[in-house]
Amino acid sequence: MNTNTGVAAWITRPMLITFALLVSLPLWIESVGLYQYLGVEIVIWMVFALGFNLLLGYTGLPAFGHGAYFGIGAYAFGLSQLHLAESLWLGIFCAMFFAALGGAMVATFLSHRRGIYYALLTIAFGQVFWFLSIKWHRLTGGEDGLLNIPRPDLDLGFVSISLASNQALFYFVLLLFVLVVIGLWRLIHSPFGTVIKAIKQNEMRTAFIGYNVWLYKWLVFTLSASIAGLAGGMFAMAQESAYPDVMSLHASGFVVMMVLIGGGMVSFWGPVIGAAVYFLARDLLGAATETWLLWYGLMFMAVIMFKPEGIAGAWQGLVKRRKESARVEKKPFTG
Amino acid sequence: MDFLANLAPHLVNGITLGLLFALIALGFMLIVGVMEVINLAHGSLFALGAYVAMTIIGIEPQWFGPLGEWYAALPAGLRYSFALVLAPILVGLVGMLLEFCLRGTYGKDPLFGLLLTFGAAMVIEELIRIIWGSGEQVLQTPPAISGAFIWNGLIWSSYRFFAAGFSVLAIVMVWLFLERTPYGAIIKAGAHDSEMVRALGINLSRLRLYVFGFGVALAALAGIIMAPIWGLRPHVGVDAVIPAFLIIALGGVGSFGGAVVAGVLVGLTVGITGAYASEWSLMSMYILLIAVISFRARGLFGKKSVLEN
Amino acid sequence: MSTKQARHSEKAHPMRRVLPGVAAAVLGAYIAQVPVAAAGMGPIIIGLTSDASGQYANSGASDRRGMLMAIAEFNAKGGVLGRKIVTIHIDTETTPATGSRAAERLISRDKVSFLIGAVSSGVANAISQVAQKNGVIYLNTNSSSPTESGKNCHRVKFVWDGNGANFAQAAVTNALNTYGKKWQLVTNDYVWGHNTSKATRTLVEKAGGTIVDEILVPQGTRDFSSTLLKIQQVKPDVVAAAVGGDDQKAMRQQVAQLGMGQNPAWINNQQDWPDVYGLPTDNLFGVFGTTWYYNLDLPGVADFVARYQKMYPDTKMRVPGNVFYNGYMATHSLLQAIETAGTTNNHAVIKQLENLKVSARERMQHHDAWMNPKTHQMQQTIYLATANTGGDKDDMFKIISESAPETVADANAEATCKLESLADTPVYEP
Repeated sequence: MNTNTGVAAWITRPMLITFALLVSLPLWIESVGLYQYLGVEIVIWMVFALGFNLLLGYTGLPAFGHGAYFGIGAYAFGLSQLHLAESLWLGIFCAMFFAALGGAMVATFLSHRRGIYYALLTIAFGQVFWFLSIKWHRLTGGEDGLLNIPRPDLDLGFVSISLASNQALFYFVLLLFVLVVIGLWRLIHSPFGTVIKAIKQNEMRTAFIGYNVWLYKWLVFTLSASIAGLAGGMFAMAQESAYPDVMSLHASGFVVMMVLIGGGMVSFWGPVIGAAVYFLARDLLGAATETWLLWYGLMFMAVIMFKPEGIAGAWQGLVKRRKESARVEKKPFTG
Repeated sequence: MDFLANLAPHLVNGITLGLLFALIALGFMLIVGVMEVINLAHGSLFALGAYVAMTIIGIEPQWFGPLGEWYAALPAGLRYSFALVLAPILVGLVGMLLEFCLRGTYGKDPLFGLLLTFGAAMVIEELIRIIWGSGEQVLQTPPAISGAFIWNGLIWSSYRFFAAGFSVLAIVMVWLFLERTPYGAIIKAGAHDSEMVRALGINLSRLRLYVFGFGVALAALAGIIMAPIWGLRPHVGVDAVIPAFLIIALGGVGSFGGAVVAGVLVGLTVGITGAYASEWSLMSMYILLIAVISFRARGLFGKKSVLEN
Repeated sequence: MSTKQARHSEKAHPMRRVLPGVAAAVLGAYIAQVPVAAAGMGPIIIGLTSDASGQYANSGASDRRGMLMAIAEFNAKGGVLGRKIVTIHIDTETTPATGSRAAERLISRDKVSFLIGAVSSGVANAISQVAQKNGVIYLNTNSSSPTESGKNCHRVKFVWDGNGANFAQAAVTNALNTYGKKWQLVTNDYVWGHNTSKATRTLVEKAGGTIVDEILVPQGTRDFSSTLLKIQQVKPDVVAAAVGGDDQKAMRQQVAQLGMGQNPAWINNQQDWPDVYGLPTDNLFGVFGTTWYYNLDLPGVADFVARYQKMYPDTKMRVPGNVFYNGYMATHSLLQAIETAGTTNNHAVIKQLENLKVSARERMQHHDAWMNPKTHQMQQTIYLATANTGGDKDDMFKIISESAPETVADANAEATCKLESLADTPVYEP
């Protein structure tokens, strides 16, 4: 992991490459045999995974019920549009606010734990939220889903842009992605980021130095829940509906897998890569075979067994090895 | 008085349910407690055990010629007992294969081991689906332990009592093995101080292999016992791994007695809420866990473990 | 990734040599499978959105077989309007998010003309929304949730299964007279369970019976021992169970173990053939419903079964059931509607389907069937059955009654269904 001291740039080269790739996506997505909606889903999950990695990769806290906050965000967005007012910013605000609220409540129970008990409690709370979303069907629509969620126009005051087409929605989602990436990059390279990395390395020592570890863990969980909620809200717009399934243990497990395969444990870009790989693999394998889950599971196992640092980690390893061999070449061994 | 009379059968029911839960959690607990690996494939292996047993019980005569015909003609009880012994052994071997895959993750963040077993769970479930199909199947139980009996004006399932009794037997046997045999001592020592065990000349990798295999065999055994109650389909493993996880957390990682007590406690909770507040019967498990963990950080009887880091 | 590779090309690491080749091969394979869909005279592409994994994998597979058989029969006659029918299947995984994605992919990438297939109501709703937005006609073949033709109906969506309210109508009056007036409800605690139990309650109370107790069973329940003990303590005449999915499979096992299937009398809702095929008969307790049975003594049934066996000699189910039947009938009716309309223009086909009338003979049911234009649900004969003890291993049902569609109509549906107008539905002529 980069342990840069000193101020990091606001916009880095990998960021620009990623943004360029994604901004140009609507131009080339269909010629490679994919479709715009997939692009929307991938970027939404990139946001979800980035927020989640704050918790898993950077603070070292294993959370397996994060789908719950994604789901809360989706329902909050939908309910705000259906019952309060059809407004994009209100919807996004509600999504992030209520997901953060849910996250904050749960984090209060969690933040003095770590390791296996932490993981178990995140699962337990995830299951509680899932259960509530099915049981409280007068509010959420239950397994039928919360339907007919509108895609409100992007109202900038002087102009109103319709988000009805998947392409328009993609650009909006991409805009939020850019903001999240820049925001999280700053956060990671701020004193706050240093502390949570320290917590990952050794929680006890960090506490002894004088940091309020409980508070940091609480903040990280709440923030990552809020970002999950943002992603959920965007997904409610994409699907124009919200369902309990995203809160299931299964769905929560997938974001963990994504982050790991991408290399979130060692790299900021891990979640971004992981989300892309997951959706592409799913779409590709799913079109080719009905037993895609088998191949995906085997691939996942192979990554953990042979390259647990994931794709980003493998890339970092390659780059480092090449840099080292270049250095060795420049400095010949003198007896 | 009437209330108590109505409550009593539900208490009995809760305890039998709890014993079943304890059996399900047993294999999981062994692996977590001894090897400090959270085996999320526990559920799929549970299911695999039941499927393998089903196949063993129902071997078609034509597969093995005259030997097959002789076998198929054996009484159901004999074939069932045979499956009860053979299937866990076979699935235990699969478990050993999984342990082999896990080796790279020891010493690293326990998250990797957990995720590897999560992947393995997906793979095993898919393999079950491919080999045996997606449909609902039946594990035939011998007539001697099937059926129902009437007690106190209510109908009770004979099989359920057999299963609960079997759980007690299995729990006692495992406890005896761990506490009263030299092998058990080695296993417990391996958990506490692996370096010392190695220094004493014991092959630690071999030990881990066998313990994992044993834990998986127990999962398979639980699967065979539960299949007649829960039904048999590829996805049934998920219904086992969540309670197992929960019970271990509730009882405390590393505590055998804790797992058993937690199992019975969960069974009672689910059983009693099922009777008086049925819509909350599943949630009650989670609320119980949250409540206990909030007050007793390591569960009821938990010991400090590496998994907390 | 490719821009990074282009820049660091000094030292060719073995992995990097292979990567571009692999990427190219993968993309090539991907593009190669894009079907050639020329507008107008090209083939008609139908998207099959059936589950191949998850809880409804078995039913989804059966559903798809029904669709494929109908399509194969039309293709043998030269297709529809002289155009061959091509199918693309995507596994919807019993997950609504996958349903949305599958629908989007099939519509925007594969340019399907029609979408067919559903077992889960959540998945059906996810697909319907995308379909309605694009004007693509969607057939909900097998979701028995009353909301599908009620609150969640759509102009492009047509429902082909009987729903919980239909089966309750068929079962309740009969059971009240036969078994008694003291009823207990067991309700799976989610929308389908509640709607079904509510329909039952209304009918029971209207006919003079009483609901003495309702046990709510959360979704995901595997242990029914406390529920079954409670039933024994309450001693009702009839238990009406609105329990579905895997919960129902566990409940079946446990009721069979206790031998409680005969006493009290049980009213279950619809039993899907793929869920029960191969189980011992004591697992099939009580009275339950279905839309069709392979052993109905009606003209055309035997031939239909023979065609199934010829096309699918290797499937585990040796005879087809209601799920296959619904998939077949829906697809068959759609293709016929296109022929009759003389065009694939969605508005024209919708109008045809809304006025659909199919004779009893063609439906292989006891009564004529017709499409309700206000709710888009096919009104059909509803059968009640019990387990058939002593039959051969396929003949599991004993049909005890058949009800004409008008006698079992869902009273609530027309009030809650608000179809989008045709003007609001985009025109689509694939």
